[in-house]
Amino acid sequence: MPKFMFIFRGGAQEYPDLSPTEMQEHLKKWYAWAGELAKAGRHSGGQPLDNGGKTMRGRDRIVTDGPYAESKDLVTGSLVLHAESLDEAVELARDCPVFDFGGSVEVRPVVEHEV
Amino acid sequence: MSDAAASALVEDLFRREFGRLVSALTRLLGPANLSLAEDVVQDALITAMEAWRFGPPRDPNAWILQVARRRAIDAIRRNKRMAPLPPTLESEWTVAGVVESALSREDDADELAMMFSICDQGLSQETHVTLILRLLCGLSPREIARAFLVDTQTIDRRLHRGRARLATLGALHDVTSVDDFRARQPSVLQALYLLFNEGYHGSDPDNPLLPAMCLDALQLVELLLNSPVSGQEHVHALAALFCFHAARLSTRLDPEGVFLPLAEQDRARWDQLLIQRGVVHLSKASAGTALTRWHLEAGIACEHTMAPSVEQTNWRRIVELYDALLALAPGPIVAMNRAIVVAELHGLEDARSALLALTDDKRVAGYPFFWGALADIERRGGHADDARGHYGRAIGLSRSRAERVSYERKLALLNN
Repeated sequence: MPKFMFIFRGGAQEYPDLSPTEMQEHLKKWYAWAGELAKAGRHSGGQPLDNGGKTMRGRDRIVTDGPYAESKDLVTGSLVLHAESLDEAVELARDCPVFDFGGSVEVRPVVEHEV
Repeated sequence: MSDAAASALVEDLFRREFGRLVSALTRLLGPANLSLAEDVVQDALITAMEAWRFGPPRDPNAWILQVARRRAIDAIRRNKRMAPLPPTLESEWTVAGVVESALSREDDADELAMMFSICDQGLSQETHVTLILRLLCGLSPREIARAFLVDTQTIDRRLHRGRARLATLGALHDVTSVDDFRARQPSVLQALYLLFNEGYHGSDPDNPLLPAMCLDALQLVELLLNSPVSGQEHVHALAALFCFHAARLSTRLDPEGVFLPLAEQDRARWDQLLIQRGVVHLSKASAGTALTRWHLEAGIACEHTMAPSVEQTNWRRIVELYDALLALAPGPIVAMNRAIVVAELHGLEDARSALLALTDDKRVAGYPFFWGALADIERRGGHADDARGHYGRAIGLSRSRAERVSYERKLALLNN
């Protein structure tokens, strides 16, 4: 089955008033969502990203601090999963809890060489 | 993987860590830096939430602790928008070690210090409860506002007053001094009693029961018992009272969310572990000579909880305990509760006249439970018309659907 990468942007950093209980509830939703994917044999593994970092650019290998994107555009993690088609992969993203706090998902087919 | 992932996170983990770490950091940085402590912990928890979306770490508590520690050290080194720090944090070389050991305490001393500092004479009781819910139980101002049925600004104002008062303390009160402990303890116990009551019959009409709040109050009262100061029989009595009431929480509402009277509750579903815990506390409470209202209230709750049925309840003993309670803490609500149990021991007529004697009291007359109780007595005595009128008043005064529907059902039975 083809693989797709979900690239998550944004999340809760913009919601400073979240209560500890709401935070834990939010995690439970992620585990429930991933649990459904795993049960259907679709899930293959996710990777959270810390918000800091450095960027290297150009022939001169210039290093700058941080991705410094606006927080809604900041890549916060990725997940690879199996789906029959791009449409189906998009459908699987529909119930993802990332949308609760203004986040987004970019769904990209992973290129695999067949020959 | 994910059912396991969800269960790796202990229920209320985030809330508990908030209370523990805010207390520890405030004790370290001084109460003038309370808001900073709250921000550091809030930030650590949000970081945890984002980082754990694809699965929790092996040791969630240690993970949060580590992030909070780093954030705290950064804040101290930047030293911006900060009130003066205690001398232990002045040396750049030792900051990391001092923060590390302050945040890694295994005992409850930080939370105790926070609880005793919050319950300050200069603040109102409702501010005590609000601060406990925020700083020790990790509720957000919005959640506290919902529980008390007030707007969030009211809660923010109380928190602001509380933080300003705490800031004048210089340091959180350590409760190693027995005198200090004894002087402040009554307002701490009163605050925990209010906290428990709020969970037991809360103001929120959609959520008349808040079991988590009851269990928080129980946990905090047991924290007091872990403190090094001994001779706390009345604290055991309060803990016993909480245990007996908490044991029955899950049967107070039926599947439709309507209050069930004691007689209709499924006693088999009462929490036996909590009942046993209550019995242990009550026996420790009886070790000394002190007899407080908590002792008597716990004794009454114990009799109700241990009885196999309404019929087999020791009503004589309960009335005796109410007599003692009325002598110790006279008041219309105690008198009302006594009158209700008198019906079982001395008959309906005695109960009826005792209740009618209270109708002029404003507090009682505005209390739906009073009219419901009087209506029950009239119904059982065959005075259907009087009963209808009283149920009507109870319905009119009801604060939640759970209350209102319970009286409407009784009224409907009467009309059939």
